[in-house]
Amino acid sequence: MNPSLKLFTVLFISLELTFTSKLWANIIIIIGCLILLIHAGFRWQQFCWLVLVPLFPAIAIFITIVLFSPSHSLFYGLVLFSRLYMYVSLGTVFTFTTNPLALARSLEQNCHLPSKYAYGVLAALNLMTKMKQAVITIRAAGQMRGVVLHWWSPTLYFKAILVALQWSDQLAQAMESHGFVEGQARTSTINIPLTVYDWLITITLIVVIQIIIIALP
Amino acid sequence: MAKHQLHLRDIILLALIGIIFGIIYFAAGFIYNGLTILLTPIGYGPMANDLTMGIWCMAGPLAGFLLRMPGAAFLGEFFGAVVEMLLGDQWGAVNLISGAVQGIGAELGFTFTLYKIYNWLTLLISSLTLTIVTFGWDWFRNGYSHFSGQMLIIMLIARFISIFVFSGIIVRLIVNMLQRAHLIKR
Repeated sequence: MNPSLKLFTVLFISLELTFTSKLWANIIIIIGCLILLIHAGFRWQQFCWLVLVPLFPAIAIFITIVLFSPSHSLFYGLVLFSRLYMYVSLGTVFTFTTNPLALARSLEQNCHLPSKYAYGVLAALNLMTKMKQAVITIRAAGQMRGVVLHWWSPTLYFKAILVALQWSDQLAQAMESHGFVEGQARTSTINIPLTVYDWLITITLIVVIQIIIIALP
Repeated sequence: MAKHQLHLRDIILLALIGIIFGIIYFAAGFIYNGLTILLTPIGYGPMANDLTMGIWCMAGPLAGFLLRMPGAAFLGEFFGAVVEMLLGDQWGAVNLISGAVQGIGAELGFTFTLYKIYNWLTLLISSLTLTIVTFGWDWFRNGYSHFSGQMLIIMLIARFISIFVFSGIIVRLIVNMLQRAHLIKR
């Protein structure tokens, strides 16, 4: 499926279910997502992680609604509990089946996002591991001088931002020296197709979910 | 080219800031779960969300101060969410919606000062708009409409304090350091 349309579908469903309180729609979407994930070769360790991540917030909301809210509504407790899992399973399906590069290309080609955004974010993303290392180095350098830099310490952020300023300069220069010009028409090596089939899946999914939302509680 | 336009360098910088905050937040993630476990037995479990809200919103005001142009605060916050999503964060695509909501909240603070004033007042207004906008989103997302009035007021105040401390005071301290290093454009 086209990455941009997939993103749009996921965002649309999440937003719609945020503003409607329906239990069955959440449960059916979670089951659908699980089937898609099994089909895509999701490992059981990843399933455990998927269950664990929203567990504390979901239980906290459930207990607060059922025991401490004025309505003591079991239904809304379940709706909110399942809603968090709905968000997480939709998000996981999207990230697990979508390649960031394909998404950036699709947003540029199909949605006409300016190429500076598509490639700027992608370029920064590739510095992720180096940035992680830089933060560790900053902390280690502090410790050598007997200074502990906690996560709330402004100095830590300041030093990391210095690194970011330097890298963004260098990376932008490097991209421009390799012929990247902002706003210029570009040719693409790989075309991301946007077919009738993609549209059909998107529309069918959205229609089916409307029916579920209207028909079931 | 127009002065008020983001260039490639600024976009990379904003995304890198998103990454930095993403990395450092990760170290603070246990606070959220810890607070949730502590607060649930007294019926204030969702307040962990309000108490930590300021931590997740730091990138926006900081980007607004650093680049000083319309859209910077929004994109700083939003790119953080994009990066988290692309790295396979479990909250995934829903992060984009939260990121956009927080971005709008942070951006409004700068809009109300017409992108001309950059001092404590801006941070105060930005904290206020962030509090109101993110609370509005949680009203629907986390079912705040089902809670009692007294609890809502306590959670709103907790959220404002958290946002003011992290996205206000700490951001101001970082900005001060950057200003002393002459790294902020006039």
